[in-house]
Amino acid sequence: MTALLRITGLHLDARTARGTAHILRGIDLDIARGRIVGVVGESGSGKSTLALALLRLLPGNVTRLQGQATMDGTDLLALPDAAMDAWRGSRIAMIFQDPATALNPLFTIGTHLRDVLRRRQPGLSRAELRTQAEAALRRVEIADPAARLRAYPHELSGGMRQRVMIAMALLARPALLLADEPTTALDATVEAGIIGLFRGLRADLGGSILFISHDLALVADLCDDIAVLYGGLVVETGPAPAVTAAPAHPYTAALLACAIEDGGTGRLPSIPGDVPDPVTEPPGCIFAPRCPRVEARCRAEPQPLRPVSPGRAAACWKAA
Amino acid sequence: MTPAAELRDVSVTFPGGVGALAGVSLALPAGAVTGLVGESGSGKTTLCRVLMGLQAPTAGTVLFGGEPLPVLLARGRLAFRRQAQMLLQDAAGSLSPRMTLRRLLAEPAAIQGLPRAEAWARTEALMRRLGLSADLLDKYPHQVSGGQARRVAVARALVLRPALLVADEPTAGLDVSVQGELLNLLLDLQAELSLTLLVCSHNLPVIRRITAGTVVMYLGEVVEHGPTAALFAVPAHPYTAALLSTRPGAPGRITLRGEAPSPVHPPSGCRFHTRCPQAQPRCMGERPELRDVAGREVRCHYPLVGDAAP
Repeated sequence: MTALLRITGLHLDARTARGTAHILRGIDLDIARGRIVGVVGESGSGKSTLALALLRLLPGNVTRLQGQATMDGTDLLALPDAAMDAWRGSRIAMIFQDPATALNPLFTIGTHLRDVLRRRQPGLSRAELRTQAEAALRRVEIADPAARLRAYPHELSGGMRQRVMIAMALLARPALLLADEPTTALDATVEAGIIGLFRGLRADLGGSILFISHDLALVADLCDDIAVLYGGLVVETGPAPAVTAAPAHPYTAALLACAIEDGGTGRLPSIPGDVPDPVTEPPGCIFAPRCPRVEARCRAEPQPLRPVSPGRAAACWKAA
Repeated sequence: MTPAAELRDVSVTFPGGVGALAGVSLALPAGAVTGLVGESGSGKTTLCRVLMGLQAPTAGTVLFGGEPLPVLLARGRLAFRRQAQMLLQDAAGSLSPRMTLRRLLAEPAAIQGLPRAEAWARTEALMRRLGLSADLLDKYPHQVSGGQARRVAVARALVLRPALLVADEPTAGLDVSVQGELLNLLLDLQAELSLTLLVCSHNLPVIRRITAGTVVMYLGEVVEHGPTAALFAVPAHPYTAALLSTRPGAPGRITLRGEAPSPVHPPSGCRFHTRCPQAQPRCMGERPELRDVAGREVRCHYPLVGDAAP
């Protein structure tokens, strides 16, 4: 299986008041073609920064961006700015967490959709633009699309706005779609509808989807593959069912154990300790301070991601 | 036993006609943990504010320990605040960024004019229970983790030994690896202090695990209220059934049409009829009352359990 995107050794540092923060500490990740890859991590794991680094939409305090992100033979991190501009919104698109701020309040839904179409297919007639825009809204199950094209973002609910974002992604037909917590700002029953939509539209979307979430259960339910991030590193990757059924890394196992089961009793599970401080550079495994299986070797040697079984890798010397 | 707090047919209508609460009747059993679930706009926050005396109802009665809330407030807001405390959703944001944790932790007792030494001894005991070490005391809220900020907020709420604690989304924004620890601490303290605890949350697994009773709200109304285990096992209201089916791993997800309608123009009849998979012609015209069905209160003409169940 060839990867659409291969990320190797991705480092990102940023300047903060407390010193240099190591946000990404050497990410290695393959995104296979046509797959939904779930990136799971807690706050500070670097999952959103990873998406923004791929799009090169980074804040000014970034002091180091190193490594490769190769897509179809092109290193995204080495592209000239103008070329990167051309990739954004055409070959790589992104759905943001908050659809309220991702749409321009001054333009109608129709303008948003037509702009995407024009970028992709210059020279479309007005009638064709309208037909395709309406069709896209219908595909994301928005009723009365002709009327919705004339609506402004504030006239739509949060769930509808997120459907518009997905419709824009459909029209862009990107090879890689980045979705950063696309349902976190939505209510549970609305979230269920959006997740159903992602599942139903994967064939239409065509490309690969990088689905970022803090919710392991959601990712396990939707995605083909999982990458578990912790403290700016990928600690485990593999097919979603295999990883959740038998996690190889102690952090993945601990995270799965924190899910509150139906019918459970007694103390609620948690992982003792705090997430790693980004300004520190621990010599050993990033999870060692909280790991229930820690040994002297874990604190002394960094733990690179290594294959543990076909299609699976974990950053732990104990993983089998 | 007298409920710790009770709402009787309480409505809150904001200027502009937004009906945040519409005829809510609810009794919180003393010393028990009750969960309040519902989506945005269902009226959860307004209900909490009414219980705290921060929002006067436009209609209906609020009783606190059997006494009308306006009487208690007239007698003294400070004294009432000692009885009822709220844990705000954005715990870190509820702490003044200009105060150290030491000052923040001493503030409730200072406002109440309690003897300083005695109150601080109580604060230190709470800090030990909550795992907040003394070397945090000179830090500012932004210098501590989200979990620590939340524990400071818990200590501030409980140092006055209130009878009622309302926790609005106590785990929202917390990583799953630390939410369990916070809930364990909260439940330990609830049991020790015989607190009446109302937990508002989107997190259905949390509600199922930690509460004895669950209240489900939709568009400003209580649609179902019953023992948590029974309600989760066999929901009686179609909205409860749909909401619970969104839990990860829940069998048979029910996808609802559209989104909750505007509370300015709520649907006629049953407020849920526009999205209800079981809606009948009667539901459009006739508003169902909250009535006893199979050991709980349900606002539905055609509940999913009981004699009339399909």
